[in-house]
Amino acid sequence: MLKYGYGGRVLRVNLSERTFSVESLDPSWIKPVIGGRAANTKRLYEELDPECDPLGAENIIIFGTGPLTGSLLPASAYYTVTAKSPLTGILGDSAAGGQFAAEMKQTAFDQIIITGKADSLIYLLVTESGVEFFECSELSGKTIVGTTETIRRDRCDYSIEVAAIGPAGENLVHYAAIVSSGNRVNGRTGMGAVMGSKNLKALAVRGARSVELAEPLMFLDECRTIEAAIMNHNEYQKRYQLGTTMLMTDLNGIGILPTKHFQEGVCSYVDKISGQTLASTYKVKNKACFNCNVHCSRYYAVDDNEAEGPEFETLCSFTSRLGNSDLPFALEMNTYLNQMGLDSISTAEVIGWIMECQEKGLLHPDDLDGLEITWGETDKIRDIVEKITYRRGVGDRLADGATKLSQSFSEEAQKLVMQVKGLDIICGDPRGIKAYGLTYAIASRGADHLRAEPYFELTNRREEAKKRFGTEKAAHRLEEDGKAALVTYSEKIALLTDSMTMCKNIGLCMDILNLENASQLLRAGTGIDYSPNYLKKILGEAIHTDYKLNKRFGVKKEDNTLPERFQKEPLKEGPTKGSTVDIQKMVDEYFRLHDWD
Amino acid sequence: MIRVDLSKCTGCQRCETACSFFHTGRINNHLARIKVLNLYESRLDSPVVCVQCQERYCMKCPEDALSLGKQGQVFVSPTLCTSCGVCEKACPIGALEIFNKIMYVCDLCGGKPQCVEACTEEAITFEPDNIEQISLEDIKKETTKMNPSQKRHFYIKKIGTTARKRRDQAHA
Repeated sequence: MLKYGYGGRVLRVNLSERTFSVESLDPSWIKPVIGGRAANTKRLYEELDPECDPLGAENIIIFGTGPLTGSLLPASAYYTVTAKSPLTGILGDSAAGGQFAAEMKQTAFDQIIITGKADSLIYLLVTESGVEFFECSELSGKTIVGTTETIRRDRCDYSIEVAAIGPAGENLVHYAAIVSSGNRVNGRTGMGAVMGSKNLKALAVRGARSVELAEPLMFLDECRTIEAAIMNHNEYQKRYQLGTTMLMTDLNGIGILPTKHFQEGVCSYVDKISGQTLASTYKVKNKACFNCNVHCSRYYAVDDNEAEGPEFETLCSFTSRLGNSDLPFALEMNTYLNQMGLDSISTAEVIGWIMECQEKGLLHPDDLDGLEITWGETDKIRDIVEKITYRRGVGDRLADGATKLSQSFSEEAQKLVMQVKGLDIICGDPRGIKAYGLTYAIASRGADHLRAEPYFELTNRREEAKKRFGTEKAAHRLEEDGKAALVTYSEKIALLTDSMTMCKNIGLCMDILNLENASQLLRAGTGIDYSPNYLKKILGEAIHTDYKLNKRFGVKKEDNTLPERFQKEPLKEGPTKGSTVDIQKMVDEYFRLHDWD
Repeated sequence: MIRVDLSKCTGCQRCETACSFFHTGRINNHLARIKVLNLYESRLDSPVVCVQCQERYCMKCPEDALSLGKQGQVFVSPTLCTSCGVCEKACPIGALEIFNKIMYVCDLCGGKPQCVEACTEEAITFEPDNIEQISLEDIKKETTKMNPSQKRHFYIKKIGTTARKRRDQAHA
């Protein structure tokens, strides 16, 4: 019996039958995966038919929180959504902060497992007593905020939190997102399309159960130590003012800000689109996730366009990555993408890929219903994004994602898709951050930095690097030595952060979380004996589960690589000039450290 | 009284979490006597807590279970309270609410409100000597038939619209 930390229960919903059942969460099942992402992956590994159609009734979509979600722990605000990805055909998952997870926690369901397919558009209201199914044809085509506020109004409770899909999810755009708390996005791997394929417009949660802690005062002490470490951190002010948008100038400064679809790493007009400019011109207020003391999110207002965000990825995706210097346009796109429920990275990749291919003469407008577009053409970008959302005209093909779209074109064009395992690469040129490059290559959901977030390589902490990873070079962004060791360390902390459902900006980038304090937090929170060594062992095993699951989906070792550009073409200018990535060497070393074949 | 500056609130719910934890040792927004609303439609975030209004609508308790403390806070006698809901219904802004047969209302934590300690944004401040009397008469007329959550929503939208106007002017 799980008494503390955990809700201790699992909810299973069958949409085809419109039934649900409640199970107790087996302590011996959950202990080796903690919760959150690792628990979701384990569930998928045990229950999903790997051959299933990701957009079919048999796919399983899981919402998971962790033992410390919604507790006193700062930014314990995350939940992970997991399913087989319609974009990549392999393990798909995506996490989001905001307010949803803490409210879901109060339903005392640690996991909500949804299977089947409803025969008409519905939403679910999950409370501590179970599920209510609501027909909602009137919500069809509605935005995220429109859906959220309609549900709250109709159910007469403004503390209800809603994770919904927008039109993009309903139209099965393969990189459609789920969005909660109005603007908090489970962006990657198309989890919104999985919801759409099940005719599930939204999952609403409202709980009345308490989060109970095994040793409340000890837990309070641990949380206060962490809060103090956050407040005293040398990046605190910067993160408070700019949030992740601080990376615009930070990455540009080291020559790795993706510009014109990764053809350049230095953006000449960065000051027009930087986090600082955003903050001084359009930011009106800070915004925060549940119980966080960083408050790194922001509201902006540009005339009638008011919303939360943007995070760095969206900002960069719709500025330099597409050769656009118009900041208000990027903010307009942030609002639109969030409300329509589209992943900004994958959306920008398909557009950027077309721009580059057309510039190089590899794609003729006739191949794409007359679409002709080049860098920074904002009106055309706006038009394409809308077409993708509704799968209208050429948008129907673009909605399958850059990787799939490219398959009907030349090999040369295919090589220009910036993706790994079918997932579009985030904004950060791996030629200047080698451990990140390795992370994109090995990440189990495809090109992604969050699986390890090896921010350490940017900190220049040489002595610490020698101590932790055997070589000072691990703390140097352009070196390849020691990076496999760094990644195998930080992927554990990343998984720990995801499974405790804490924020990675705090847990990893600010280097706040480690095996020792996590062990103290988990012990005081759950009463279960999690020693640092035990954590290390189970995190390694959980990473191996990702690997085994993807093997079932057909992923091979050679899929752990980077696009040819990063291996062969050095950047021509800036502080990363001349650098390429010897990805094979790092991947081999990474596999050797894991003892994988 | 506890003063709320909605223009500074980030919606983090730290006040709510601290309130619940320091009163009960558990975390549950139903157990908090200060309740945060994140209104995504109007992009307003704010806690709602007893404003110690001029009218003191809640004090017409049929069981005499409510009394006022020296700092104007409301005390509920657990022995006299029958959870009849008269005070919950009377409060125009949803600052009193019954959960599992217990009435929850701000008691100022004996003079050191934990919500204020938890707020890093100065969005809520404790002003023990403030005797400013806020009238809720106008709000009362419009929220009579609402449940506490709806009342809080109405109240935040009302004060939020004013604050947003001020913000927009400052911004322009």
